Amino acid sequence: MGSYYDVDAILTDAQKVPCTMELTVPGLGYLEGNMSGDIKQGSKVELPLWLGEMLALSQSLNTSSLVTLDPPSALAPRVLNALKADPRTVDLRALAPHFYNLGARILELFEEEEMIEILSDSFKSRAGVIADQAHNPRGALGEGADFMRGLDENERQLFRAAHDSAKAVRTWMTDVKK
Amino acid sequence: MALPLPPGLTPPEVAFLCEMELVTVIPRQRLEGLALLGGPIAALNPPHRTSLPLWLALLLKRQRRANILPPPWLSPHSLTAILDHETENEEGFSPPPRLPPQPSNNTLPISPPFLPSSTAEAAPDALPYHWLELGEMLLGAASDDFEDPDNVRKLLRGLREVRMAKLRKGVDVLDAGGGVQMNGVGGMEVSEGRAFIGGVVDGLRKIAASREQQRRDKEREERENGYPGTGDYEDDEMDMQ
Repeated sequence: MGSYYDVDAILTDAQKVPCTMELTVPGLGYLEGNMSGDIKQGSKVELPLWLGEMLALSQSLNTSSLVTLDPPSALAPRVLNALKADPRTVDLRALAPHFYNLGARILELFEEEEMIEILSDSFKSRAGVIADQAHNPRGALGEGADFMRGLDENERQLFRAAHDSAKAVRTWMTDVKK
Repeated sequence: MALPLPPGLTPPEVAFLCEMELVTVIPRQRLEGLALLGGPIAALNPPHRTSLPLWLALLLKRQRRANILPPPWLSPHSLTAILDHETENEEGFSPPPRLPPQPSNNTLPISPPFLPSSTAEAAPDALPYHWLELGEMLLGAASDDFEDPDNVRKLLRGLREVRMAKLRKGVDVLDAGGGVQMNGVGGMEVSEGRAFIGGVVDGLRKIAASREQQRRDKEREERENGYPGTGDYEDDEMDMQ
């Protein structure tokens, strides 16, 4: 998925996901702020996605995996319900800077047909608003400011692309008039 | 990343391509024929109309050696009709001009820059591929050759707004099976919409990548087994869909 040097992919992988330890590991207590102790079986820790994924999927040494992954809070049912109700009012950036990328990575690990539908639909309806904002520079500063602040990284790139191409055409048109 | 330009053509590049389109001029001075790589250019004899590439027409216009005859679709009357058609039909764009009849066996077919889509003989009821760029360039350099340049400019702007809004709305119906009718979209509009539409399609594809992978795995499995749906395991998989 993506290039090795893709900064957005790296940042996506660095986002924390909740994991439940399946084993008691001596000396790893600092993961939950317990400097000297052991980490107990069943305790919950926040691990970066890349680490959690590796620990959850590695089953080479013994039969049970080290941790189990839980869906991150950014993709909790509460958020998905809010997206279903009105995608435009959700502040995706506060949930996760790379919301859609995180969603895509989680969907690789969990099978959730409904989540695909919800994410696609909200991406589409938010893209419509993004296009309107990109063609209306005043709106991006005025009433649309809250929405613009809530865009995730993918949507920001989309906004920039739409804005730049509209600007290029406008520049060309003023050049022609001279 | 090496090239700082976005994929596709930039507006100046689209305009450059548009300058190959033929337009009709009424020369005011005599000019001998020119043998250019892009094709020979007929001699100019003052009262007679000739078809010239746009770039040469604009050059002659600036030197006041010729007047440009705007194509019939660039008149307020035609543009109003097309604009009405665009606003009434929510779906789709106004159709592009019809192609000339198939040439007979001993003549060569004519391809776009040499089609008479912007000359005085062009169809009055259809926008050609380069409608926006051509209209803007003619209005910029030869507005005194129009009967009502301000009105034409206003109508062009209106057309552009209506059609861009349609392109934007088309994004909502994009899906695995859905598509957008883009027949009749002009060159400049493609250049303007490409980055956004491409970005949306890319994003949607990324979100649905896992489903796509699942589907592909299933198809491969079916191919290897020779026939679909063997065993209980695959029946469970079907339920997930």
